[in-house]
Amino acid sequence: MSHATTTTAQENLWGGGRSPYNVSYGKIMIWFFLLSDALTFGAFLISYGTTRFFSSVWPDANTVFKSFPFAGEHANLPLLFVSLMTFILIMSSVTMVLAVHAGHYNDKKSVTKWLLWTIVGGIAFLGCQAWEWTHLASECGGLWGCFTDVNTPVAEFQRFFDPTSSVVKNVFATDPLVAMQSTHNFFNYFFTITGFHGGHVTSGVIFNILILVRTVNGTYEQRGHYEMVEKIGLYWHFVDLVWVFVFTCFYLL
Amino acid sequence: MSSHSNQDSNQFYYEGDQSKLYSGILAHHSDINSDESKAQVKKIWKIFWILLAITIVEVFIGMKLSHSVSKALIAFVFLGLTILKAGYIVAVFMHLGDEFKGFMITVLVPLVLFVWFIIAFLADGGFWLHMNDHSPARSHTTQQVAN
Repeated sequence: MSHATTTTAQENLWGGGRSPYNVSYGKIMIWFFLLSDALTFGAFLISYGTTRFFSSVWPDANTVFKSFPFAGEHANLPLLFVSLMTFILIMSSVTMVLAVHAGHYNDKKSVTKWLLWTIVGGIAFLGCQAWEWTHLASECGGLWGCFTDVNTPVAEFQRFFDPTSSVVKNVFATDPLVAMQSTHNFFNYFFTITGFHGGHVTSGVIFNILILVRTVNGTYEQRGHYEMVEKIGLYWHFVDLVWVFVFTCFYLL
Repeated sequence: MSSHSNQDSNQFYYEGDQSKLYSGILAHHSDINSDESKAQVKKIWKIFWILLAITIVEVFIGMKLSHSVSKALIAFVFLGLTILKAGYIVAVFMHLGDEFKGFMITVLVPLVLFVWFIIAFLADGGFWLHMNDHSPARSHTTQQVAN
C-alpha cells in the first residue's frame, strides 16, 4: 500500500478499513504503554529532583561512585564504572536495532545473531548493576532505609560529600544531621530508581529470550513478519532511554 | 517478497493484515545486502558513535568541570545533551522519525506535561529549601547557606 498522496485519499484516512497512522494495533499499544511508563519514571526522577532541591547539601556523585571492580578499597575512579555500564546499554540498543533491521528483511539468521548479542549486553548490564548494588550496600550497611540512626558517627556519611565545598563544611560544622538526612534520601532514591530500571532490564532480557526462542523456532518466519521483534525492540530502547536520564540525574548532576 | 500474513490463520485476526501497515522504511524488503539496507545500518552505527561521543563529553564535564564552573550552567548543558541523546534514540533507534507525523505528535505531545512537572516541583523544592533555611530550628545554618 502506498502512502496517501491525493487529497481524496487523505480525506478517507479516518474513514475506517485502514490504519491512519500506518502503524499496527500492537505497536500503537506498546508506544502508549511506554508513554505511561515514561510518566512513572518521570514521577520518580522529579520526586528525586524535588528532594534534592530542598536539601542544602547532597552527596557528591564523584565521591560516591568512585569504585571499580578489582581496583581495591581505595580506588578513586569517579564515574568510570557507570560509563562502562552506559556503554554496554547503548551497545545492546544498537544490536537490538540491528535485529529489528534484519527483521524488516526477514533475515532469520541475522535476527538470531543480534538478539543473542542484545541478551548478552542486557545480562552484562545487570551483572554490573548487581556489583554496584552490592558495593553500595556494603558502604551504607543495607539497601533502603540506611542512615536513620541519629547516633551514627559523622564520618560514616561525611565520606560521601565533596570535602572542598564550603556549604558542606559549614553543615558538618553546625548540623551534620542535615547531611545524614540527605544521605538517607540519596540512597533511598538511588536504590528505588535504579532498581525500577533494573527490573525493566530484567523483564527486557526475558522478553528478548522469548522472542529469540520464537525466532529460532521459525514462528515469525512462518508469520511473514518480525513485528514482535520490533515491539520488544521499542521496549528495549525505552529502557536505554530511561538509563540516559538516570545517568544524568544520579551520576552527572 | 514474502507474503505478509496468512489470512486463514488466527494471526490474521489477531494482528490484522500487516501488509496494510508497513510502508516506507518499515516495509519488508528482500535483500539485506542491498544499498538501502547498508545505508540504514551505516546510519545506526553513526548514531551509536554520536551517542558514545556525547556520553564521553558528559563524563568529562562531570569529572573535570563540575566543581569549577557554575552549577546552573552545568545543569543546563547536561539537560541539553541528555535530551539530544534521547532524541537520537527515539527518532532513529525507535524509528519514530520514520512514522507518520500524526503518530509522532500523538506520542510526543503528552510528554509536554513534563515541562510543567519540572517547573512546578522544582519551584516547590526551592520553597522548601527556603523554609528549612529560615526555620528557627535551623536558624544557625541560614548564615552558612547565605555565604
